[in-house]
Amino acid sequence: MQPTLKPWNQRRWDTMDPKSRSTGLVFFPAFDWAISPTHPEREERLLYTKDQIFEEGLMDLPQVVEYKAGFATEKDVARVHFCVPDVRAQITDAHLISVGSAMVLADAFMQGEVTNAFALVRPPGHHAMRVAHGNRGFCNINNEAIMIEYLRHKYGLRRLVIVDTDVHHGDGTQEIFYHDPDVLFISFHQDGRTLYPGSGFIPELGGPGAYCSNINIPLPPGTSDEGIHYVLDNLVMPIIRDFDPEIVVNSAGQDNHFTDPLASMRWTAHGYALLNEKLRPDIAVLEGGYAIETALPYVNTGIILAMAGLDYSHVREPDLQPGALKMSPSTKERVHEVVRDLQEIWANRKELARKRKEEVGAYYENNKRIYYDTDQIEERQTERVKMCADCAGYLKISSSAEKMWNNQRIIGISIPLYACPACQKEARDVFLKEKEQAKPTTDVIYLQDKPNDTFIEWSPYRKEERRY
Amino acid sequence: MLIGIDVGGTYTDAALIRDRQVVRAAKIPTRSELLSSLLEALDQIMEGVDPAAIQRVGLSTTLITNLIAEDKVEPVALVAIPGPGANPSGFTVFDDAHLIKGAIDYRGRETQKLQPAEIAEVMKKIEKQGIRKVAVVGKFSGRNNQHENEIYKYVTQNHPQLEVELGHQAAGKLNFPRRAATTRLTAATRPAYRNFISQIKAALQERKIKAQVYILKADGGTLPLEKAVEVPVETIFSGPAASTMGVLALTPEGQTSVVVDIGGTTTDLALILSGRPLLVSKGARVQQHLTQVRAFSVRSVALGGDSTIQVKADKLQIGPLREGPARCLGGPVATPTDAMRVLGLIDLGDEKLAREAIAEIAKQLPTNSMAPEEEPVITTARKIIDEVAVILTREINYMFSEWEQEPAYRIWEMMQKERIRPQNIVGVGGSAPPLIPLIAKDMNCQGIVPDNAPIANALGAAVARPTMGITLRVDTEQAVYTLAEDGTQERLVRLSKFHLEEAENLARELLKNRAEEMGLTEYSREAEVTHRELFNMIRGWSRVGRLIDVEVQIPPGLIAEWIN
Repeated sequence: MQPTLKPWNQRRWDTMDPKSRSTGLVFFPAFDWAISPTHPEREERLLYTKDQIFEEGLMDLPQVVEYKAGFATEKDVARVHFCVPDVRAQITDAHLISVGSAMVLADAFMQGEVTNAFALVRPPGHHAMRVAHGNRGFCNINNEAIMIEYLRHKYGLRRLVIVDTDVHHGDGTQEIFYHDPDVLFISFHQDGRTLYPGSGFIPELGGPGAYCSNINIPLPPGTSDEGIHYVLDNLVMPIIRDFDPEIVVNSAGQDNHFTDPLASMRWTAHGYALLNEKLRPDIAVLEGGYAIETALPYVNTGIILAMAGLDYSHVREPDLQPGALKMSPSTKERVHEVVRDLQEIWANRKELARKRKEEVGAYYENNKRIYYDTDQIEERQTERVKMCADCAGYLKISSSAEKMWNNQRIIGISIPLYACPACQKEARDVFLKEKEQAKPTTDVIYLQDKPNDTFIEWSPYRKEERRY
Repeated sequence: MLIGIDVGGTYTDAALIRDRQVVRAAKIPTRSELLSSLLEALDQIMEGVDPAAIQRVGLSTTLITNLIAEDKVEPVALVAIPGPGANPSGFTVFDDAHLIKGAIDYRGRETQKLQPAEIAEVMKKIEKQGIRKVAVVGKFSGRNNQHENEIYKYVTQNHPQLEVELGHQAAGKLNFPRRAATTRLTAATRPAYRNFISQIKAALQERKIKAQVYILKADGGTLPLEKAVEVPVETIFSGPAASTMGVLALTPEGQTSVVVDIGGTTTDLALILSGRPLLVSKGARVQQHLTQVRAFSVRSVALGGDSTIQVKADKLQIGPLREGPARCLGGPVATPTDAMRVLGLIDLGDEKLAREAIAEIAKQLPTNSMAPEEEPVITTARKIIDEVAVILTREINYMFSEWEQEPAYRIWEMMQKERIRPQNIVGVGGSAPPLIPLIAKDMNCQGIVPDNAPIANALGAAVARPTMGITLRVDTEQAVYTLAEDGTQERLVRLSKFHLEEAENLARELLKNRAEEMGLTEYSREAEVTHRELFNMIRGWSRVGRLIDVEVQIPPGLIAEWIN
């Protein structure tokens, strides 16, 4: 099914007749799921949000359409992740419902049932990378990435923007789309020198075949509503307009709030609502946010109202003192500086991307170490990307993870949906060769064949294949 | 003996029941004077019966529906305390509300005080407008009723002529706009309802009927007459509830059935899932007002025995209009009733007129759509009946899929909600007998048209038992519990040991007390826990308290006299 969707630049909420607008909403608080009883990602997280949005009667508004949560399939997960040793091992039903709900809304949006949509769901996903050995940063699988690959597969979409508005760097989403020039990933977050996961700096601009399609905006602690709107107006919105995507997705964390216990920013619910009004995401998916009483009820009410085109000016935290959340002059200066640096990079992006590609040969190789804080896993990874003149190439990953009880080694080959025929063939040949030469110490060899929508897990030890 | 009377929009039905048999029934057209219709039907079935032998009277009336539809209600001033959140102007219920300052949060904590001067000013203004009824509704008043109570106190002291209705008493569950609408409707309908109830009492006294009188509510439960005055809005839509309860009484216990109530203009569909009538999830819609009133989920289809049949673009179109009775009964246009008459499925009115009507339709249909060896009028009549069955089948399937699509907020609910399909299609109403088998065949179900189908509603009114629910929230950190149904808020003692079990016991006890208050003790032991949830409240990395939600219900069901 081909979308009849106009480009995002030509779609406007603000000029639409309010009566014909509607916002799709899935509320899935997973009241019976927690990482552990006292973990921030626990049953209680969306309880007060439920109280607030139910009491407000938001689901009764003609502009809000509540959808039932849905299920993703294991295949949907395999379209994005190399789950070790298989998909089922890395997920619970809660994960399938959380991402499945985002997909329900993606369908509703694509089929024109709603103007935009908000998946108010947990568990979150933006720290989950392509290889999933375990849980990192409260995430196992990446909700936005799975939804996006589903949208591309089902509706033939290609160019998308993800804006990660969580206070933590969306390192998982960045990693998954790092070599994809058709996905512009923009993350603003509290500076990685002061907060988990410690990444998300300006020079992380994307792989050599997708340079400048990854924009990190590290902000100093104490950045307020004013600061974030400066960033939006002067950097984020112009960049998105230039990129000209089909769809904009908001990876909607709520932990920039001034009361969040894990971070040090100074946004308000009103700031979040205004952000969504300006950003005009087509689909927003909840990520972090752990001030479950003081922030979430108000932030979520604000976002729903803003997306539905309703007045959110009455949404106000009870303990908010007017004028109390000003930025210091030095913080403000730092915000402006970051914006200036990135404006310059963006203005020169074509030249920078050309040069970057020239620096590497036929293959780009990169070693990295990834730490899984929740599950305490050390992963070492080598990624090798084919540099192709006609497409974004294909990707081969070799990864080994030190877990407490054993080590796991995997090799994964991923063929992008829009890979050229030559790269597709080469990648499939590489997979066959890896299979032939596999040592029994390799646990799984994967082929992520997106053009054929086939996903293979091969176990050299058991000589067994699983296909999704 | 039991008496059931349903005063519906078109007909008033009455039934007299002895030893689980309907021994007498009456059906009369409902007149604008509801009371006189009710009494006429009552007198018909009571003729020659000893009033002392009557043990129970169950009534369902369309009074509240009529009052609201005809806007024959008292003007009510709405005083709302919205606090922070959505702008009330987004909800029509607040269109002419007096909005005042003050705020309670989701845990019932006061976050902004009321301003006495503002309240005084608003009340003066209301009095000046000559309004005598005030609905006072606060956001989260179900979690803390302090603000509403303060205003109540102020008004009774300073404006004794104003009658105040409080939100936490009328509708204490979460949903502020619905609370406002429900409270307002309660205030608006109470005087007329009180008047109606006292007239009924007097009339029964006159007839020496001393049995307890019960009123049927929209959720299929009954309340003693005297208590119904407190919740007039809950008696809305008692007609469909009466039919559904009647079907429940006439079908095998515990089965899944679709109730198809085929009237002249519309057909009402309701679901009984494993013996339990399906309720709307958030509350009934009363015209344009969304309320918190518990009600059966009824899907009204604009298709009935008297629906107008037309041919458009070579295709049959049935309904949504009704221009009068069927042609065979002297009406102006062809209707499904005429088609049934032509096929000999019913024996009603003039066959010749029916054939004329259907023949006109047959002429407009393409000739190649007619069966070669059959009269076109017969083929056409069959096509009409098939089409009616197709439409109703589609609507039934739609109702099931809507039910399946109702949001779930827990993993286990997502995992366990299996695809339920009906066992029975149960028909009620005059056109039911010929149509039900067709629908049942399409849906691969058993079609049932009970003997007493025409008066299933009156039977339902007679044999429905009381329902009652308790929605308890316990907050051990703040050491309080709240009861959504009447706004009770109490301090808790012995906190350290307060878990789900203690909360359930508390809920059962509160239900028992409330049942006693309402004069419904006999069924309180049948209460069941319909929802239970415990949240540990973690602050930092340790538990500071628990939030426990428990709902206990006496579900809709049938009185012991009918079952045993």
